[in-house]
Amino acid sequence: MNSVIINLSKYIILILMVLYGFSAFTVLCKEDERDKELSLNRQIVYVFLIHFLAYLTFSIQSPGDMKTIITFYALQILIATLYMYLYHYFYPYSSRMITNNMCFLMLIGYIMLTRLNFNLAKKQFVIATASLILVSIIPLIMDRYKNLRKYGIAYGIIGILALASVFVIGVEEYGSVNWISVGGISLQPSEFVKILFVFFVASMLSKKRDFRQVMITAVFAAIHMGILVLEKDLGAALIFFVMFIFMIYIGTGKFRYFLLFVAGGGIAAGLAFILFKDRLFNHVLVRITAWKDPWSDISGAGYQITQSLFAIGSGGYFGSGLTKGSPDVIPVSESDFIFSAIAEEMGVIFAIFLILVCFSCFICFITIAMNAKSRFYKTMALGFAICYIFQTFLSIGGVTKFIPSTGVTIPLVSYGGSSVLSSLVMFSIMQGISTIENKEARKVEKEREELERQSGYDA
Amino acid sequence: MKKKEKSLKDSQGMTLEQFEEKEERTRKINEHLNRPILAVAYLFGFLIVGLIAYILHFMIVEKDEVIANAANSRLDSFAADVIRGDIVTKDGVTIATNNGDDRYYPYDNMFAHAVGFSKYTKAGIELIGNYYLLDSHCNPMERFINTLREDSSQGDTIVSTLNYELQRTAYDALGGADGAIIVIEPDTGKILAMVSKPDFNPNDIDAVWEEANSENYTGSMLLNRATQGLYPPGSTFKVLTTLAFMRQNPRKFMKYHYDCVNSEQVFNSVTVHCYGGKTHGSEDLSDALANSCNQAYADIGTKLNVGEWRKMLEELLYNKDLPYTGASATSRFYLDKDSNSGYIPQTAFGQGDTLVTPLHNAMIVSAIANGGLMMKPYMIDSIETYKGNRVKKFTPSSYDTLMTADEVATLTEYMRKVVTDGTAADYFAGAPYEAAGKTGTAEYADGQHDFSWFIGFADVDNPQIAVSIVVEESDVNGVKATAIARRIMDEYYNLKEQ
Repeated sequence: MNSVIINLSKYIILILMVLYGFSAFTVLCKEDERDKELSLNRQIVYVFLIHFLAYLTFSIQSPGDMKTIITFYALQILIATLYMYLYHYFYPYSSRMITNNMCFLMLIGYIMLTRLNFNLAKKQFVIATASLILVSIIPLIMDRYKNLRKYGIAYGIIGILALASVFVIGVEEYGSVNWISVGGISLQPSEFVKILFVFFVASMLSKKRDFRQVMITAVFAAIHMGILVLEKDLGAALIFFVMFIFMIYIGTGKFRYFLLFVAGGGIAAGLAFILFKDRLFNHVLVRITAWKDPWSDISGAGYQITQSLFAIGSGGYFGSGLTKGSPDVIPVSESDFIFSAIAEEMGVIFAIFLILVCFSCFICFITIAMNAKSRFYKTMALGFAICYIFQTFLSIGGVTKFIPSTGVTIPLVSYGGSSVLSSLVMFSIMQGISTIENKEARKVEKEREELERQSGYDA
Repeated sequence: MKKKEKSLKDSQGMTLEQFEEKEERTRKINEHLNRPILAVAYLFGFLIVGLIAYILHFMIVEKDEVIANAANSRLDSFAADVIRGDIVTKDGVTIATNNGDDRYYPYDNMFAHAVGFSKYTKAGIELIGNYYLLDSHCNPMERFINTLREDSSQGDTIVSTLNYELQRTAYDALGGADGAIIVIEPDTGKILAMVSKPDFNPNDIDAVWEEANSENYTGSMLLNRATQGLYPPGSTFKVLTTLAFMRQNPRKFMKYHYDCVNSEQVFNSVTVHCYGGKTHGSEDLSDALANSCNQAYADIGTKLNVGEWRKMLEELLYNKDLPYTGASATSRFYLDKDSNSGYIPQTAFGQGDTLVTPLHNAMIVSAIANGGLMMKPYMIDSIETYKGNRVKKFTPSSYDTLMTADEVATLTEYMRKVVTDGTAADYFAGAPYEAAGKTGTAEYADGQHDFSWFIGFADVDNPQIAVSIVVEESDVNGVKATAIARRIMDEYYNLKEQ
């Protein structure tokens, strides 16, 4: 009987996922407000049903822990409901689609973490909930303090200092020195400096856009990336670079800057490679070899990626069903390789729709960027959009052997305190921009009505 | 607050037209700024579409092969829900099935190395087909009911390319001798028979495994010599030396001439004599091959550009991994342009340090039989449900065209002469088909013992079967590879007539 419920849940979850995935795009095209509201509410139903069925499976599979699992489940639902309700009560101009996607991604993350390691899931839940409360004031702050655009170089300097802090109080993990430990809490500065960096570039370009200003910005950006390379965190360095070139392009509107920095970045990377090949790039070379032919060294360098492919392939389109696969064999399946774990147990179809949901977040971000009238917010929104989608791409592309593995996480889904906090900050800033710009648009609309009424009198 | 008032005041001073104008201006600027954003969005959309397309490609094309990998520990967990499927030959004989909880092999040793075993570790078809045996495509309703009853479903059946009758013939023909036999269909790469001895009885795998892993065991009964045994190619290598000579002297090779009149001759300060100290008299290239004249080939060797020679052999997969899914060893050719010229003469006629696997030799002779196109050898023909409905069919796939039509025609003519007038003539006398091939005797253990080789195919006009056979210690056991080839080819054409 139990296995019937688990098997049925598997297929129902898949159907719900497909429904959610589709509506994550159709909602974006809906004009009618009421229609949109309905669809958004329906999405919440899909998410909660998926979540319910997953936890039903867990409690059937381990009846001993049923009580803890149900408590954990109830807490998640409580927080998610409260969050979605209160957020829109206080920020009526925020994007509901983003809140839905956020809850969706986080709940999927909790499901998979509960499956992989219950203690990590609880830890992640506590950190994420605390972070949610913390970041919910971000739109308010942004609305109040409109002079955030004025700090320009200060963002850059703070960012560089924060990145450099790992040289003083850093800890090495997985061959990169990119963690610091403050009072027993481990942090990954690059996760937060990413946000400061977006502020920095957007703010620099909102003032002036002449050659000199662009070059000053570029020098600061280069220092950021240089430090990341020294920390051997090449994944982060790559994300910074991609954010930088696209923000420069959008901020100045000049394609030649884009070309210039792509070429410059290429040359710099090439030079660094030739000069410091052995000291800095050894583990990169190992990763590239493991990517090109993992099959020749399955038990060594190719272990992670082959295990990941075994997981994805063995799960098949429909997945093995939650708790039925063996994703725990994949190293770091709770963070970098969570996509493979999801694909194995929930199916490749589910996983592909998960990618589409991430892409839906990106489209929301891009829409916010396009609606923004202020250049500062526009550049910033685009920076975050790129940061989000590129990181997702690197993570998923890496574990599926599409590109060499860079060891980055999927925002909001993967385990990791720094990652989840910085992702939530990012999403909240986007909500802040959305709030400010929507308010502005409303104001303009009012003015127009006012003027129309006046001119009506005149006539 | 102040700002807000100010902006309200600003617009209050405006007429509607001015306001509209201002709005239109902002809208235009915005539109201008948004165009590149849209481009960036499309670019990343493209990246994501690429990622999804890649994942689907992985699932459709690569998945099966990837997860069939023996290092995938998940396959064993499939076994909880699926009863391991049967393995049958192409002509319908079951060669592996289940007897209660144990695996049962009805023909004991006969298919030992081809079918392999699945306990302790996996080998043979049990290894390369593991995934299919543990997958079940029986009726979905049946599976669903099995799931409800928490029963196991019957795994799929592997239809191998092996032919029972040919395998039996090959197995009997090799008799008590050690060695290996591979029979291939040249135009598809299907392996029709694969024998390797010494062998073992897979039904006694517990005892076999214990013996093979015991400390004082020095034998190698678990090694599949057909794919992993490395042998000196002996005179079968002369076919490739001939090919190298033809390529390097495209016009002159037909005029090649050698007088084999002395029982001994010195080439590059190495003394060479023909097999049994014979002399062959005046020979052209085809006579040299038919007579397997060592002196002539030593002479040809001294005329070869060694760098080119090695390049050609590497194109023919020497020093390369074979395109074969099962375990296989890599054939070795050591000479290069800097090698001591004293190694060249004996290497040219197949002695020296050159090593080849029987499978590799079979692939080379199959390529000659198939007009120069080498096919990838394979042993799984198709997958069926246990009820016999086809699930998947493996199609032949080619590796590369390695010889031109002219080269193939010449080699075939020469190899035909080996069978009609040369070293294989006695064995093939009165055959009802036209075979072509090359015999070989390789000395090993400092000339104490002989390996007996034969590679060849039939029929010359329409090649349907290619063989590669090696017999160890043929001087002791008296088993000759060429005689085995005759028996296998006879059986093949017998079966065809029925």
